[in-house]
Amino acid sequence: MQADKPDSHVVGTSVGRSDGVAKVVGTARYVDDLPKRPGELHGVTVRAPVARGTLRAVKFDPSFDWSDITVVQAADVPTNVVAVIAYDQPVLASTAINHAYEPIVLLACADRAKLARAKLAVHLDIDPLEPVLDIQTSLSDQNVVWSAPDGFGDKGTNVMKRYLITKGEADVDAEHARCARVVSGTYSTHQQEQLYIEPQGVVAWWDDDGAHVIGSIQCPYYVHKAFLKTFGLDAERIDISQAVTGGGFGGKEEYPSIIALHAALLAKKSGRPVRMIYDRAEDIEATTKRHPCECEVTTGCDADGTLRVLKMRVLMDAGAYVTLTPVVLSRGVLHAAGTYRWPTVQIEAIAVATNTPPNGAFRGFGAPQTIWAIERHMDAVAAYLGVDPMDLKRQNLLVEGDTTATGQVLRMSVSSTACLEGGLSAARYAERKRELDLENQARAQRGERKRLGIGASIFMHGAGFTGSGERMLKGKAALDLLPGGGLRIRTASTDIGQGTETVFRQIASDASGVPMEHIDFAVPSTKVCPDSGPTVASRTVMVVGSIVERCAREIGDAVKAEQARGGGSFAQAGDRLLTKGPVTVLRQYEPPDFVKWDDTTYKGDAYPCFAWMCDVAELEVDLDTFEVEVKRFHIAGDVGKAINPKMCLGQLEGGTLQAIGWALSEELVWRDGLIKNPRITNYIVPTALDAPPFETALVEAPFEFGPGGGAKGIGELPMDGGRRRSPPPSSTPPGSPCTTCRSPPSAFTPRAWAGRSANDNLPEGSQPRVDSTQAQRSAA
Amino acid sequence: MTIADLASVPFERAGDLASLCARVGELADSEQPFVLLAGGTDWMVEQELRKPFAAGAEPRVIDVSRLDKLREIRLEGNVLSIGAGVTYWEMRNSPEVRAHAPLLERMARDVGAIQIQARGTLGGNLATGSPAADGVAAVAAYDAILVVQSRRGVRRIPMSELQTGYKASTREGDEIFVAVEILLPGPDARWYWRKVGTRRAQAISKVALGGVARVEAGQVVRCGLGMASVAPVTALLPRTRELFLSTKLEKIGPVQLDKAVDSDISPIDDVRSTGEYRLHVAKSVVRDFARALGARV
Amino acid sequence: MLIRLKLNGQLREVDTAPMRRLLDVLREELELTGTKEGCGEGECGTCTVLLDGEVVNACMVVIGQCDGRDVVTVEGLGSEAHLLPIQKTFVTEGGAQCGICTPGMLISAEALLRRNASPTDEQIREALAGNLCRCTGYERIVASVRAAALARSSGGAS
Repeated sequence: MQADKPDSHVVGTSVGRSDGVAKVVGTARYVDDLPKRPGELHGVTVRAPVARGTLRAVKFDPSFDWSDITVVQAADVPTNVVAVIAYDQPVLASTAINHAYEPIVLLACADRAKLARAKLAVHLDIDPLEPVLDIQTSLSDQNVVWSAPDGFGDKGTNVMKRYLITKGEADVDAEHARCARVVSGTYSTHQQEQLYIEPQGVVAWWDDDGAHVIGSIQCPYYVHKAFLKTFGLDAERIDISQAVTGGGFGGKEEYPSIIALHAALLAKKSGRPVRMIYDRAEDIEATTKRHPCECEVTTGCDADGTLRVLKMRVLMDAGAYVTLTPVVLSRGVLHAAGTYRWPTVQIEAIAVATNTPPNGAFRGFGAPQTIWAIERHMDAVAAYLGVDPMDLKRQNLLVEGDTTATGQVLRMSVSSTACLEGGLSAARYAERKRELDLENQARAQRGERKRLGIGASIFMHGAGFTGSGERMLKGKAALDLLPGGGLRIRTASTDIGQGTETVFRQIASDASGVPMEHIDFAVPSTKVCPDSGPTVASRTVMVVGSIVERCAREIGDAVKAEQARGGGSFAQAGDRLLTKGPVTVLRQYEPPDFVKWDDTTYKGDAYPCFAWMCDVAELEVDLDTFEVEVKRFHIAGDVGKAINPKMCLGQLEGGTLQAIGWALSEELVWRDGLIKNPRITNYIVPTALDAPPFETALVEAPFEFGPGGGAKGIGELPMDGGRRRSPPPSSTPPGSPCTTCRSPPSAFTPRAWAGRSANDNLPEGSQPRVDSTQAQRSAA
Repeated sequence: MTIADLASVPFERAGDLASLCARVGELADSEQPFVLLAGGTDWMVEQELRKPFAAGAEPRVIDVSRLDKLREIRLEGNVLSIGAGVTYWEMRNSPEVRAHAPLLERMARDVGAIQIQARGTLGGNLATGSPAADGVAAVAAYDAILVVQSRRGVRRIPMSELQTGYKASTREGDEIFVAVEILLPGPDARWYWRKVGTRRAQAISKVALGGVARVEAGQVVRCGLGMASVAPVTALLPRTRELFLSTKLEKIGPVQLDKAVDSDISPIDDVRSTGEYRLHVAKSVVRDFARALGARV
Repeated sequence: MLIRLKLNGQLREVDTAPMRRLLDVLREELELTGTKEGCGEGECGTCTVLLDGEVVNACMVVIGQCDGRDVVTVEGLGSEAHLLPIQKTFVTEGGAQCGICTPGMLISAEALLRRNASPTDEQIREALAGNLCRCTGYERIVASVRAAALARSSGGAS
């Protein structure tokens, strides 16, 4: 039987994670669990205590015994730049201090208690300068705090990056004038901390082979690139590998380059291995966060709700340096139109510099900000038209054959309707809305102080790098045939919890016919694995997984051909091949031919495909305390093809809870550019009691170029939703779910509460504006 | 900032209560810094946040976590005595507490999560004096008496006379909390507990209210209130309480009640919340308590 | 100070400064790195262990307080060859993702199942509320605990 059916068919089954047993018995080694290397030192960072200033001098307390402390300053850095996109960020600040917590001095010592005292014995002599701490101040250019490197931003301003997307009529304002209904609104979203439970950390050392780093790293080749630039080493003298990683969510995408450079600088100077593990406060203060964003939206539609024109301005706060901001802004602007048909579009996007720690990658990468804005705006339009928001969304939903804001024709794998209808019917949206209204009336009569509400959202997320990104990136993967008929997968795609290792093994198994247990997954390392591109952008399974699939199929076919020629088992045939030399297949990603993208006009196929998702949330709001409890949560999410269904659930539900946390409780409190709550006790993420029960349905709209029969990227998708809140108008706390995403209960003030009119669910001063002339005209 | 230097902190274990009192007296006389360590849920957090100790400035730590005398829960007549070393987890699971002081069981469920409940003690929260302590607000609602002991003997401090300012109290430097005594209000007493934090577990109160009352013929005849996180001390809301005790429930109006709360507290902004929000929620939960007693507010 | 404790069922002695945190002594002296540090202030629960059968955060307990007591860490649950039901279901039901919260989560879950063989979902969530997970959204974790309760009650317990 087995000979007839060589394929093991594990794709589509929820096999347990390959690294699961090590994780449940406690033997999985995260970076801080790695045994001490001989002579190892601990490293710490002395950081700027102000948001902006000029560093005059660094003084070392002469009464302190510095004999066993290694000290590294800017002058010790061979090329003092962190190579990401633009080369504007120093590894250590020398004179200009551009954000609080900017690293200035590195210290290493074997004795941690002494190291803590040494930190206090370093005195920074700083002349403070007036900082710029928010988007609008930055945009005014009254205080220019950033100097554009060549090829970036607008010279002499704080603007780091701009994009413009246009579609349809050239004059959007004239198009608005032709519309029966025009609604405007401004929607802002606040920062979010990734709060992976394992803080950032690395161990670095040098030997005759060059520099070595092992750590909690999402993208080993990013660190590799940073080392090439800073240390000027040959590529093969840099060895970056991943330890088991305790969550990343983007937070360990670009930041690890910095901590790795720091540890390696200390290791180089001391001649000893150096371990740097951030404590929680340092991790929250110094590392990247989700970009704050403001979206100004004006839309026009016909009286019957048919959308005609979208005008939008997207503003993002990049923080002090460029890091990944151009890419985040790009993804934000490419998702800004939501999943709706707009004949005419004008979306302008601008990222500006501020004197805050650089904002960076976080699951969703700009899209959650703009999608939230368009979803809230659609709700406002629906309210104005007097229709249910989901009816308006359904009416204007992008379906197969439609054209997106960038002019991309949706050719295949379009599941918008399936997700929308699936989510709404599973949640019994319409019935529940009526039931909750009745229940609320009864509660009001009984004098009770809690009300129920239901709301839904529909959104899509592009998978893989934008436009021509994958073509330029040339991601690679390799598979080796092992003695005994086994395989080894070599990619730089890290498993940071999402299940890469397991899913790749499932894909390789089905493609090659080799059982999963005979397939190894090499630890991602720049010495061993080819550059598959980073573990980001919902691209790991869809893009790298498809290279793995191709390699596995080729190796499997080669062995089977040998088997057909010379007989014997698969393993015997494989061993015969190996006698002639190593059998390895290395392949590069080939994007589907149809993907055409123009970076100069920002037109074309932004992504090879999109995944869709519909969220339906039921909430309870306390009218006295403004506390919100999420009672139930339905998800209908399109994954293309579920390689491992339970892992898909884990991605969709986990991402959704991050989105819920962002809306309801997570908030960084800033004062003068410093973070006042860099602790888990007051940066509040949801506990198991706060999380709603999730009822998740996987929708499968296969993408023919995806592996395993059509898998699409889903890592970021759920982060785009989760924040839709629609309590009944009479109970909606002001200031909250409407135009700012920030809505922990204490964000609502009783004054604003008292000031709101009974039938208005929007806070005073922040209602989406309705153009009265237009309204009158439509009435006429 | 560092816990690495904890290793240099001297540690000793308390033998029995008498020798502990003697030892504490000795240390108080010599003006040496010392700390009685029980569950560590407050003190260990401070260690994580503080700057390194100056050499020789480390406090001496005396472990009291296993002093049996501090871990008793006793019912004598209509007085329930809860040892200062009883953990919130033990409180939740104590038949005596459940039967006679259900507010404490309910409150204990809201303390941190089980890991914190298993370590945190009433005595520890009283000693560190945080106004955010849920446990202290709850015992305040019972008009608890704090039993302190020193080599000089035993002294009883009414809750209303304990706290004098932010983390300041009338407990002397050589006195240790040994128990909390509650004069039980009777089985027909009403009790109320409401904690408002940012999440349902692992939350530090933005406002929490404990209330105990006996109502006879529409009139409150015993009333105790304790509110967390709205003042430098656990707020006992004396004017609000006086209003309840002096006015028939049917005569108490919302404006009057709000005014009383206004005159009792002036909460401030901090990293967790704003003074404005706290005052609003404080009034709301007091009204909720009043409604539970039968007032129309 | 010489500390004697029962650790994962075995008597162990460790000579160390009594004020060091149980967490550090476990990870450094006793080389049990399954217990993790996520915050150092009793918030995240990733250092959860059993102390005399009660769930505690090892970052808030000093080793001097553990003399003569019974400590169980994740390494004291089941070994690779003899996984407890709760360990199996965290793998099969998707309770573990990045895995950094998993050791503490397993300790809290196992303690729950020992005191309550068939907990409701709300009881499961309450028992795990001191263990933060940033990956799963908790639904798969609740499902894992539910499945383990079932396995234990049907004789799957080892």
